[in-house]
Amino acid sequence: MSIVTSCKLNASSLIINNQLIHTISGDTIDWKRELYNFYSKDYPKFHKMDPLAKMAFLGILGIEKTTDLSVYDDNEVSMIFANKTSSYKSDSNHFENYTKKNLISPSDFVYTLPNILTGELAIYLKWYGENCFYILEKFDLDFYIEQIEIAFSKGKKACLCGWVESSDKSEDLIIFIIENQNNKINKEEIYSYFK
Amino acid sequence: MSELKETLKAQIIEQLNLENLTVADIKDDQPLFGDELGLDSIDALEFIVLLEQNYGLKISNPSEGKDIFHSVNTLAAFIEKNKN
Amino acid sequence: MKDVFITYGSLVTPLGSSVQENLDALKTNVSGVKVVSNSGFKGENWPLAKIDTITENRFSTLLLNSLIELKSNFDNAILQSEKTLFIISTTKADIENFPEDTFSVINEVLYSELGIKNKPIIVSNACISGVLAINLAADYIRLEKFIDVIVVGIDVVSEFVINGFQSLFALSDEIARPFDKTRKGISLGEGVGIVLLSSNKRNSNFHAKYINGSSSNDANHISGPSRTGEGLVRSINETLKRSNIEKNTINFISAHGTGTLYNDEMESIAFQRTELNTIPMNSLKGYFGHTLGAAGVIETIVSMLSMEHNILFQSLGFSEVGTTEKLNLIEKNEFHEINCVLKTASGFGGGNASLILVKEVK
Repeated sequence: MSIVTSCKLNASSLIINNQLIHTISGDTIDWKRELYNFYSKDYPKFHKMDPLAKMAFLGILGIEKTTDLSVYDDNEVSMIFANKTSSYKSDSNHFENYTKKNLISPSDFVYTLPNILTGELAIYLKWYGENCFYILEKFDLDFYIEQIEIAFSKGKKACLCGWVESSDKSEDLIIFIIENQNNKINKEEIYSYFK
Repeated sequence: MSELKETLKAQIIEQLNLENLTVADIKDDQPLFGDELGLDSIDALEFIVLLEQNYGLKISNPSEGKDIFHSVNTLAAFIEKNKN
Repeated sequence: MKDVFITYGSLVTPLGSSVQENLDALKTNVSGVKVVSNSGFKGENWPLAKIDTITENRFSTLLLNSLIELKSNFDNAILQSEKTLFIISTTKADIENFPEDTFSVINEVLYSELGIKNKPIIVSNACISGVLAINLAADYIRLEKFIDVIVVGIDVVSEFVINGFQSLFALSDEIARPFDKTRKGISLGEGVGIVLLSSNKRNSNFHAKYINGSSSNDANHISGPSRTGEGLVRSINETLKRSNIEKNTINFISAHGTGTLYNDEMESIAFQRTELNTIPMNSLKGYFGHTLGAAGVIETIVSMLSMEHNILFQSLGFSEVGTTEKLNLIEKNEFHEINCVLKTASGFGGGNASLILVKEVK
């Protein structure tokens, strides 16, 4: 059991496998757009996504820099995602629309569910597997380890885990893939990886 | 009319977050819901918001929108016909 | 594999403040959905399943109300045990108070009212949250992390959510009619359902055995249901496989059936593809409205009532086939021996989930 790949990103940097890959200049209006350009990926749906889904998608592109995700069958990977503030930014948009702009927008409302981001990843990766979104007080490695244990007990080949936060204070993403090796989980290795 | 069409294209790009496109990429008679632009059912509903916000035109049943949203030409014709 | 039993915790809906009150109402086929004047974005009078007695702080009041029956069913030895976990299933929690923190009130209420010992887990995965939460509860028990897991499914009707579904043209101007030819959309509802899953049989007259469950994503569209029902087909097939039971042992299907054109059509295709379309089936959205994160738990409770009392409840609002594939929708209440139930759910984000319960003989 090992952590195959991880990707961390925020408004200032892109880090893959604990190595700084790109420093974000911050010259553009949205750092996520700058990072999208950095990857030179053509995926028009990106522009329609809310901040949570954009970050998760950019995280996946980071993972794909070093890992071939097509080795997995379309139901072999469980997605385990969480954050503290749910879809706060999209909630704000929708709320402002009807309280201040006398407007209701279907595309803004749809993103007021945090699990839309796992839906976006499922569409991009063509993965039909199990996934779930949780609200937690903070990033809690033990929680992910429990969920991974559950997924492995069902024979899943890997887990794609993520913590993705977009609030007024900050935007942060940690995403990592853990591969199932004989249903054993080496907690120490995971702890030390995230130290 | 052609000015209206150019304005419409810019509004479509803005409203539907089609940041990968420019006004020049959308042709007047191009089917908006064909494969090329990749628009979907939520986009169709966003057209309703666009018409109401920018032109004060109301569509109360999404199925009415099907012919209206066919292309920039049909959208412009609908706006011309219904403006005051 | 360790046996997992499931039993009633609490049920508060517009139809009643306890499991028994809801059962009595269901037997008479009354709907909790009523026209609420001026509830729409432009002053529309949407039919909604709201609990009349709650006038403010809908979410925390509803949560508090649901704990009364829970406390009468289980004593502190269970509620406050270190081997008991709470899993909450909700889409928008206390969204009425946005932009304040909408989720923190859950823990505040559970710690102060019940004195729980473990940090609750909140599942927020759109309309399949309830079924996912029950599946997760069983997983925790099977891995022997906990002895008892209490699943609370809860959501309230709010301006936020009404305006959102209105923007999608998804609301019906009459009481939702799932699977019917004349269906126009959903009726939003609110409520709480609580179930207890345990490796023990806990102080109740009725238990079902939780057999298995699973989920699958459509990988197709973030809000539109798959035209082929792919995700739901995959989830049902996986749940059947994990349960190791034959399809013909299922006596009843509690479908999702929101009442929108596309969702119900998708489900009909999925049930046809899985060859389950002749099994008696209902949607409860005509009674409770669509209670979003609570729906999976509330509908599982009613499935358990169907097993306990051997009643197939009428699929309220259905009268004429309105889907490409014909389903066996229950047209009036019937008494019928029910031993095995399939519960399904589908939702935004492309999610689909299912689970199977079997009646546990006393």
